[in-house]
Amino acid sequence: MSSIRLKDIRLTEYSLDNLELIRRLRKSQIGIMPEVCIERARHLTRYLKNMSNDEEPVEIRYAKAVNYFLSNKEPLFFDDNLLAGTTTSKAFGAPVYPEYTGMTIWPELDTISGRKKNPLKLSPEEADELNLEIYPCWMERNIIEYTRKKYNNPECMGLFEKFVFFIAGKAGTISHTIPGYGVALDRGLEFIIEEAASREKQIRDSGDVTGGRKQKAEFYRAVQIAMKGIMAYARNLSKKAAELAGKTDDPFRRQNFLTMSEICAKVPAKPATTFREAVNSLWIIQVGIHAESINMAMSPGRLDQVLYKYYRDGIDSGTLSDREAVEIMSCLWLKLNDNTNLVPETAEELWGGAGTVPAVTVGGVDENGEDAVNELTYIMLRVTELLKLRDPSMNARYHYEKNTREYRDRVAEVIVNTRAVPAFHNDVVDIATLENQGVKTAHARDYGIIGCVEMGIPGRSYDASSSIIFNLVSALELALYNGKRPIVGDERIGPGTGDPEDFGSFEAFWEAFKEQAAWLMGKAIELNEYFGLVHQEIYPTPLLSAFFEGPMEKGKDLIFGGALYNASGVTHIGFADTVDSLNAIEKAVFIDGKCTFAELVRALKTDFRGHEKLRAYLVNRTPKYGTEDPVAVKNSQNLIRFLYDLCQGHTNYRGGRYRPAYWTTTNHAGQGKLSGALPNGRRAHEVFASGITPVSQAARDLAACLRTVGGLDGLCIPMGEALNLKYPSVSDDEDLRKFASAVEAYFRSGGLHVQFNIMSYETLLDARNNPDKYPELLVRVSGYSAYFNDLNDAMKEEIITRTEYDIRTGRANPFPATHKSMLPYEEGGDGWKIS
Amino acid sequence: MEDFLNLILLRKLRTAWLMRKWLRCMESEFAEEFLETLLKLMSLVFLVNYRDFRRNIEGFNGRYLFKSRDRSITVSAVFRDNRMTVSERLIDNPDITIEFRNGRVLLNYLISPRPDILGSMLRQDVTPRGNLNYLYKFAYMAKRLQLMATGSV
Repeated sequence: MSSIRLKDIRLTEYSLDNLELIRRLRKSQIGIMPEVCIERARHLTRYLKNMSNDEEPVEIRYAKAVNYFLSNKEPLFFDDNLLAGTTTSKAFGAPVYPEYTGMTIWPELDTISGRKKNPLKLSPEEADELNLEIYPCWMERNIIEYTRKKYNNPECMGLFEKFVFFIAGKAGTISHTIPGYGVALDRGLEFIIEEAASREKQIRDSGDVTGGRKQKAEFYRAVQIAMKGIMAYARNLSKKAAELAGKTDDPFRRQNFLTMSEICAKVPAKPATTFREAVNSLWIIQVGIHAESINMAMSPGRLDQVLYKYYRDGIDSGTLSDREAVEIMSCLWLKLNDNTNLVPETAEELWGGAGTVPAVTVGGVDENGEDAVNELTYIMLRVTELLKLRDPSMNARYHYEKNTREYRDRVAEVIVNTRAVPAFHNDVVDIATLENQGVKTAHARDYGIIGCVEMGIPGRSYDASSSIIFNLVSALELALYNGKRPIVGDERIGPGTGDPEDFGSFEAFWEAFKEQAAWLMGKAIELNEYFGLVHQEIYPTPLLSAFFEGPMEKGKDLIFGGALYNASGVTHIGFADTVDSLNAIEKAVFIDGKCTFAELVRALKTDFRGHEKLRAYLVNRTPKYGTEDPVAVKNSQNLIRFLYDLCQGHTNYRGGRYRPAYWTTTNHAGQGKLSGALPNGRRAHEVFASGITPVSQAARDLAACLRTVGGLDGLCIPMGEALNLKYPSVSDDEDLRKFASAVEAYFRSGGLHVQFNIMSYETLLDARNNPDKYPELLVRVSGYSAYFNDLNDAMKEEIITRTEYDIRTGRANPFPATHKSMLPYEEGGDGWKIS
Repeated sequence: MEDFLNLILLRKLRTAWLMRKWLRCMESEFAEEFLETLLKLMSLVFLVNYRDFRRNIEGFNGRYLFKSRDRSITVSAVFRDNRMTVSERLIDNPDITIEFRNGRVLLNYLISPRPDILGSMLRQDVTPRGNLNYLYKFAYMAKRLQLMATGSV
C-alpha cells in the first residue's frame, strides 16, 4: 500500500464516548447469558425425517436439508446492529449440531441452565423437543457412532475415547478453514448459481452422466440448491426488516430497518456495491456457512484486503466516512460474537472458555509481496481496541522488510491497550513455510489465520487444521512404561519398546519414544481418515465448497479433495514438558549418572514421594527448553524435526499431507491434569506448558527464550505455533518500543507467532479470587482469546503462573511470595530450588 | 385399564417407596443397590403412567447391559414396544454395555450433581462399550428420575 490516507492511524477521534450506538450494542451484548439454540437441529431433523428422499444422492439430499433450514430460519433482529442476520435464534446462542457432538448434552438437558461452569439457558419445552423429537433421530447418524459401526469400533476409536492420547477433531468439527468471499461479494451468489448450472448442463447435455461425471453433476446441482438457501434467508430478512420498519416510531430504527431491507433484497444474491452491502453480504454468507458446517473456527480471513475496495470506493465517492466504516466494522465484530459453542459440563471443566474463534487477519504483504496495510487495517485495529471482545480472534501479520514500523508499533499499542489482542504473525517465515508445502508464492503471500494460529490460504486451501490434537506426553509415558500409560490402568497399549532400565543410552530411549509416538500418531491418523471418509459418505459440504477455488472447476466437493490445496492439521500438546523430560533423562541418567533409569521411573510412579532429593536435582540441574543449554536446544530441534517427518509421511483422504502444529487451546491444562509425574520434575496433575511456550518459570531470560524458540525450524511447523508471553505492564513509549523491538528480533530469529497477556501476576491472582471485579478481563489462552472468568481452574492457574517478564530488563519477575505453592519451582540464586 | 392396574398393584405406593429407597441409596457410602433400585424404579415409573416420563420410551428400542467388574452384578434393560424389561441375565447384541467397578462409581457417572465422567472413564471405574448416544439417553432418564424424586421437576 503506497500511502495511508488517514490523518491519524490510531483513529483516536473515534471512541465509545462518541460512538453511542456501538457503546449501547456492546453493553447489551457483554455479560449476556448464552442460550441453547435448537432451531437448526429442529429444521434439519424435520427435513431429513419427513421430507427427504433416501434414494437421492447424499450431496443433493444434504444441500436440500440446509436449504430447508435456511429458507425456514427465522429472520430476527435483536438489537440496533447495522447488519442483518443472526447465527442462531437467540441473542447469544449455542447451536445444536446433532451430527457432531450436539448430543453430548443430552444427560444435562434438565440441568444445563443451572450448571456451575458456563451455564446455557434452555427452556423446558425446547429441552423436551431435543429429548423426544430431535435426538432420537440421530442416535445412529452422528459422526462418531456412524464411524464406530461402519468400522466395527476400531482400536483407534477406543484410544480417542480415553481422551488422554489424542483427540480426533473431526468428531466435533471439520470446519477449521477460511472461505473465499471475493467472488460472492463481487459477483453475487446468482453468479455462482449460474456457473454451477452451466457446468451441470454441460455434463447433462453431453449425454454421459455416469460415474464420476454423474457425481460432478450432482455436486453442481447441490451448490445451486445450497446457494438458493442463503438467498432465501436474505429475502426473509429483507421482508422482516421492512415489516419492522413500519412498526417502529423511532426514526433511527425505522431508517435502519429500511436500509437493511434494501441491502438484503440485493445481497448476497447480487454484487455488493457499497461497503455496508459488502460487510452485510459477508455476514449473511457466514451465517449460511454455519447452516451447513459447525460454528468453530470458520474464519473470515483477511478482511482488510477483502473489503478494501468497497471502503475505498465509498471514501472516494464521498458515500462513506471513516466514522461509518468504524461503526460498520464494530457491528461485524459484535455479530461475530453472537454465537458460542455447545459444550457438555465435563468438557467445560477440562477445556472450557473457548469461543468459536472466527479468526480475522490484517496486515502483512499482498500477493505481489508488497505492503498490504491499508486504512481498513487501522480501522479494524481501532475497532478491536475499542471493543475488547473475545471474538473475532484478531491476528496481525507483520513483514519486517515490507511493513512499516508505524504499523508494527500500532499493533503493539493495540495489544497493550486491550492487554491481549491481536496476535503477531511473522510473514517472512509463514510464507516460506507455506511455499515449502507446495503453495504457490502468490497464494502463500495471501495466507490468513484459521482459528488459533494455523495458516491457510483463503478460498484456496481446505485445511481441517484441528483434525488431531496429539498428546506428546502420552508417547513419552508409553516409552517410559514399556507401552503402558499408568493413568488408564495396567493394560499394554502401545508397542513393547523395552524396560527403561535396559536402555544403555539416551539414543536408545529416544528411539523407543519415537516408536511409541509413531504408533500413536498412526492410530490418530487412522481415526481421522475414518471420520473423513464418513463425512464424504453422509455429510458433504456443497455450500462451503462454493466459496473455494477448485471445487467448481473440478466438480468436486471440498470433503472429496476439491480445494486447490489440501491438508490436515496435527497439533501437539505438552511440547515443552516433553522436551524438558527428554533433557532430564539424558542429563540425569546418561550424562551425570545421578540416578538409574529404573530409579527415575520409580520416583515418577510415586509422584516423587520419598524422592525429593532427586526431584530437586531434576528441577534445578537439568536443561530447560527456552534456555540456550545445548542439550535442550538439541532435543527441542530433534523433536520438531521428527514430528514434521512423521506427520508429512502421511497423506490424508483428500490427497493432502498432515501438517504439524503447536497450539493447544486449553488442552495443555486439561491434559496436564490427567497426566502423571514427568522426568523434568513436574508433579502429577500439574498443567503442561501452552503451545510452543517453555514451561512456566523455566526460561528466566527473555532474549534467550526468544532465540531458542525462534531457532526452531519454522519450515517444520507448517500449521503454526503459539508462543505465549506475559508482561506486567508496558508503561510508556520507551516500553512500547522495546515491546515491538522484541517481537521483531524474535521474528528475525525465525519465530512464527507470538501473543501476549499484558497483566501482572497480582492482577491475575486478584481476578481469580474476585471474579466480579473483572467481568471483561480478556486473556490470550493459546491461540485464541477468552474471558478469564470463563476459564476452568486449571487454565486460570496456567495463565497465572506463566513467566512474567520485565519489559525493561528482559528478566523474569519474581512470583508473588504468598502464592509460591502454585509453582513447581521457584527462582533461587544461580539456579532453582524446590518451592 | 392402566389406572385399574395401578390401583390393584399399588404401583404408585411402590413407586413412592422405591423413590425414597433410591434417594437413601444415593446418600449411602457404597450405593451398592443403586443400579438395581434405579432400574426397578424406572420400569415402575413407566408403568404408573407418568405421561411425561413414559414419553421417553415411546417408539424407543434399546438394549442395555450393565455388568459389575467383579461379575457379581449383571443386569439388562431392554426397551421395546413402549415397555422396559429388566432382567438379571446377559442379553445378545446390546446397543451399549456398561461395565462398572461398583454402584457408587456408576451413580457418580450417571447422575451425581458433580459428575466425574472423565475421571470415571480414565480410572476405568466405568467402561462403556457401544453406542454412547444410548448411554446419554439413559443418563438423561436417570437424572430426570432423580429430579422427580427430589421434587425438582
